[in-house]
Amino acid sequence: MIRICSRQFARSKWFLPLFSLFLGLVVFVASWIGGHLGAGAVSLALMAAFGLLILVAGRSETIRGLRGDGRDERFAQIDLRATAVAGLVLMLALIAAWLTQIATGHTGRPYDWLLAVAGIAYIAAVAFFRWRG
Amino acid sequence: MKNKVRALRTQRNLAQGQLADAMGVSRQTINSIENDRYTPSLPLAIALARYFGVTVEEMFDDQDL
Repeated sequence: MIRICSRQFARSKWFLPLFSLFLGLVVFVASWIGGHLGAGAVSLALMAAFGLLILVAGRSETIRGLRGDGRDERFAQIDLRATAVAGLVLMLALIAAWLTQIATGHTGRPYDWLLAVAGIAYIAAVAFFRWRG
Repeated sequence: MKNKVRALRTQRNLAQGQLADAMGVSRQTINSIENDRYTPSLPLAIALARYFGVTVEEMFDDQDL
């Protein structure tokens, strides 16, 4: 029941706008704790504005897919590929940053452990999905 | 994958949107299937075949696999 409700919510047009607002609130609280209330307020305003924009944006497939209410099996496949591309780009950026750090005489932190986390997560995911069939 | 979705749909005077609503997918997904740009999942292929009263083999051409 909870699973069905959460799936329905993920496919409603409120998913991404509310997620953006939630993320903005998290950044706001973190900034507040860190003593940067102004920067946190700006982040919250930006995330809330992005969420509102997505909520009232047009009915293009890309917008509806990102928002959640236009998702079907084809868009799920698009989402999976886009996530893979984003992950690959992130990995390449981390490798470039790590190599730059090492080449300039630094330790390579925190890029080294971020790359280790990514590598371990990838291997664990491959093993899990192979086991699950 | 080559298929007869467009032919079967137009035979029944259905719009892409109507077929999409019946299948629970977007109109763009039906369009992509008809233009051989997207191969549907097995459940969707079976649902399409049942909807048109044909077999999956009749609807989809597996020669290009």
